[in-house]
Amino acid sequence: MLPVSQLILWSLIGVVFGSLISWIPGFHIFNIMALLVAVFGVGSLMPVSAFPFFAIGSIVAYAYVSAISSVYFSVADESAVFLLFPTQRYLLLGRGHEAVMLYLIGAVTGTLILVLSAVFIFPKVLPPIYQATSPYITYFLTAIVVFMFMSEWPKEGDRGRGAGERLWLAWRQILGGIAVFFLAGILGFAVMNTNLLPSTSAYTRLTPMFIGFFGMSWVLLNILSNPPMLEQVVDDRVESSHYNIAKASFGGALGGTIAAIYPIITGGMGALIAGHMTSQRGDDAFIISQGVNRVIYYVGAFTLLFLPDLRLTRGAAAWLVSSVYTPKSYSEYLAAVGVILLSAGISFLFAYYLSKGIAKTFRVVHIKRLSYIVAVLLVGISYVLTGPMGVLVLFVSAAIGLMAAAFNTRRSYCLGGLILPVLISMTGHTGTFMHLLGLG
Amino acid sequence: MKMRGFTHYISGLAAVTFFPSLVADLRMGILIPVIAAAAAYFPDFMDFKFGKFLSRRDYEIDPAPWDEKKHYAPKIVKIGELSEANRYQFFALRGIVREVLTKGSGVLSYSVVKEDGTVETVSEEYKSVVFTLDDGTGRITVEAFGDDYRFFEEEFGKIEEGKEMLVFGYIDVDDEGKLELVVSDAPHPQGIADTIARAIEEAYREGERIVKIHNVRLPGDVYRRFWVHLDPPKREVRVEMGPIVTPGGVSIGGEVPEYRRYGVAKVGVPFIKTYPKPTRVDSFSGPEIAFRRSEFRGRKVVKDRFLPWHHGFSHSMTMGLIIAAVVFAFFKLIGYSHALDLALASMIGQWLHVFEDQLGFMGSNLFPPLTKDVIPGFKLGESGSGLTNFSTAWLMIALMIWNFNRFTQPRPIPVGDVELLLLLIWPSLIGFAIAVIKSFQLRREVSRLMDYYTNLEAFEEMEEVGGI
Repeated sequence: MLPVSQLILWSLIGVVFGSLISWIPGFHIFNIMALLVAVFGVGSLMPVSAFPFFAIGSIVAYAYVSAISSVYFSVADESAVFLLFPTQRYLLLGRGHEAVMLYLIGAVTGTLILVLSAVFIFPKVLPPIYQATSPYITYFLTAIVVFMFMSEWPKEGDRGRGAGERLWLAWRQILGGIAVFFLAGILGFAVMNTNLLPSTSAYTRLTPMFIGFFGMSWVLLNILSNPPMLEQVVDDRVESSHYNIAKASFGGALGGTIAAIYPIITGGMGALIAGHMTSQRGDDAFIISQGVNRVIYYVGAFTLLFLPDLRLTRGAAAWLVSSVYTPKSYSEYLAAVGVILLSAGISFLFAYYLSKGIAKTFRVVHIKRLSYIVAVLLVGISYVLTGPMGVLVLFVSAAIGLMAAAFNTRRSYCLGGLILPVLISMTGHTGTFMHLLGLG
Repeated sequence: MKMRGFTHYISGLAAVTFFPSLVADLRMGILIPVIAAAAAYFPDFMDFKFGKFLSRRDYEIDPAPWDEKKHYAPKIVKIGELSEANRYQFFALRGIVREVLTKGSGVLSYSVVKEDGTVETVSEEYKSVVFTLDDGTGRITVEAFGDDYRFFEEEFGKIEEGKEMLVFGYIDVDDEGKLELVVSDAPHPQGIADTIARAIEEAYREGERIVKIHNVRLPGDVYRRFWVHLDPPKREVRVEMGPIVTPGGVSIGGEVPEYRRYGVAKVGVPFIKTYPKPTRVDSFSGPEIAFRRSEFRGRKVVKDRFLPWHHGFSHSMTMGLIIAAVVFAFFKLIGYSHALDLALASMIGQWLHVFEDQLGFMGSNLFPPLTKDVIPGFKLGESGSGLTNFSTAWLMIALMIWNFNRFTQPRPIPVGDVELLLLLIWPSLIGFAIAVIKSFQLRREVSRLMDYYTNLEAFEEMEEVGGI
């Protein structure tokens, strides 16, 4: 294991790196880490055994600081989207900083839950439970996807002029969601199973697709719509209750844990399940639970790579790191837990002061300008990682991401790009689908 | 207690795991057994994806019609499009001030409904402005007074002839039968109360009336909350306009002034309420309420039924049998070797849904066509209770892990069956125990409220002594 001083140093560098990147809309720490590895390689930048700790610092920073982009730089023009996220609504009410504070309350709670669980619960409980349930992962995954389709709430059907029109308006959205899932799935299948992208981009071939689904479609919506830049109140007080914080933390931890442990299930899917299980309501509770969920999902999933009796590779960062160096000892696991605490403290302060600064100067630069710059950067990242075909994949996936917004349906259906090909592969039907799509 | 969708769904997932043949299929990557989970969610799927939209609506109350592009109120309309049918609805008008008719102050008197339901008349001084607005399609009188005048003055400053403005408020009809726009930030609740009262009276004569009440969606994805109180002993419908709330139910202010907060309409026929709470309308979508003529304690009355398209045949045990038959027939036909087990798991999943919903208030007609009436729920908890939802969902997760362990050799968790089950389900047991204890208090409260909501005598007594 690295000397403690080195370990702390590289973790701190990771936190700073993650913090500087994570507030930018459309940027995901996994993509930027992939870019870093692709362009520079790990060995030339740092000792390979330091990479996991650098990654922890970056991921913790992302889990905290990304609250800034989702609160301040997310489209909030309701003529472009039907339902606003609670964070967007807070921003429209001039309470963006309060939304960040609620998120940070959740993130701190999530960190504490994660650290305590990592020390006292995970080593004993996770291995047997995982062993008992892991053969049925395809069952859970399929079940969640079917539930997402079945539970889609039709937002527009209520006001149709007759029964037929009402039904059509309702089902237009549901069918739109299904179309988004399968289109994303076909794209994902092609990206994973053909030589559409260069074979040299082995670890990053999914990156342009995900940038398109989530990052690029997000900034394009910012550009296409005209969100108002309203004055923000800089006040540290939040409106919530101990009961809401406790309930939201429980729900967030549950959703985050499900997503962290089981592959392909994302934080959003975990949150959907946990939200139903705990019957969560209220905007404050939602934002707090997001903070808990994202910390446990991102950081917790990565921490599983360190867990000696389990060593699960969950999430793109874990795959990237494990290709370079896999932690082996229990002392590295405990060091990782310590690094999480240290990184969380710094990330909290960074996010807090950044939020104050942005809230004070919110109307200085319109989000559209920032979005143009980010859009160019996202194209650049895709090109560097996967070449011109990667840029094509980026635009196709961005169009699918925008389709989800146009149908007023869940953006998470874009995860079909990952879920569908994985399900096809896990059930042994890749060859059949290749023939079906005329790809082989 | 109406369980959340995933709780029902996971019950179906758990039902599958009691069948070793289906568990073995899942282990081999055969995903057909997911059908049982879909069957468990099927009742709500049918109701909320089809029933809700196909159901009949005799009256459609839309206090604040949407702008068709922006999907929120107020809708900008032309004066020429307005008629008496729009009375009390919330709209926006764009036009030019043609003539300032009056500007001054006076005393405003209005009725306020107090906490105990009594009505009090309040008088207060107010400032006002009355002018005519022209948008090329017609001319309308616009009136702003009281708190709304203060807002109006802040927004538009001095009102002068020739000034162009976009003004919003509710439509009213003056003493001469002419339309006017009263400046406000919400519809007037009187229109909602009048329509519901009319529907109850018609249901008494004709048998049934179904009323759809739309919600009030405002810019910024926020909603104007309002409550519909059906008060059988007083034979009146009261509608109370509340604050602006987020979809999560958090109030963000915007209380309406007292003089346009309440709408009260008298009902000329006896009616009772079957759910002991006022109907709250805010985010997502407004409710449908059926008013049906019925017998109650030997008398002809009108009963309400909240969401009449919900908890119908789809939520019956009979439906479970049909699902089992269809699943068996289909999967047998396509050659699935465990079609019978799958059919049984699907039926159990759907039955679990019915049972879980039966723990709450609404109840269902369990065995149609053998039974005709809804069997009331066991009233174990209120709608959306986090405790009971979690306890049930956790129980299902526990059962799944338990079954997966039982049906795997060697066992991944090397613990005896009973010991493992207890280790897994204790959070649910504690949750259910708390729910049962809390349900006693809830039942007492419900019973007290139902005594009030089903009291038909109070009105007659008041009539006899001249109290009304």
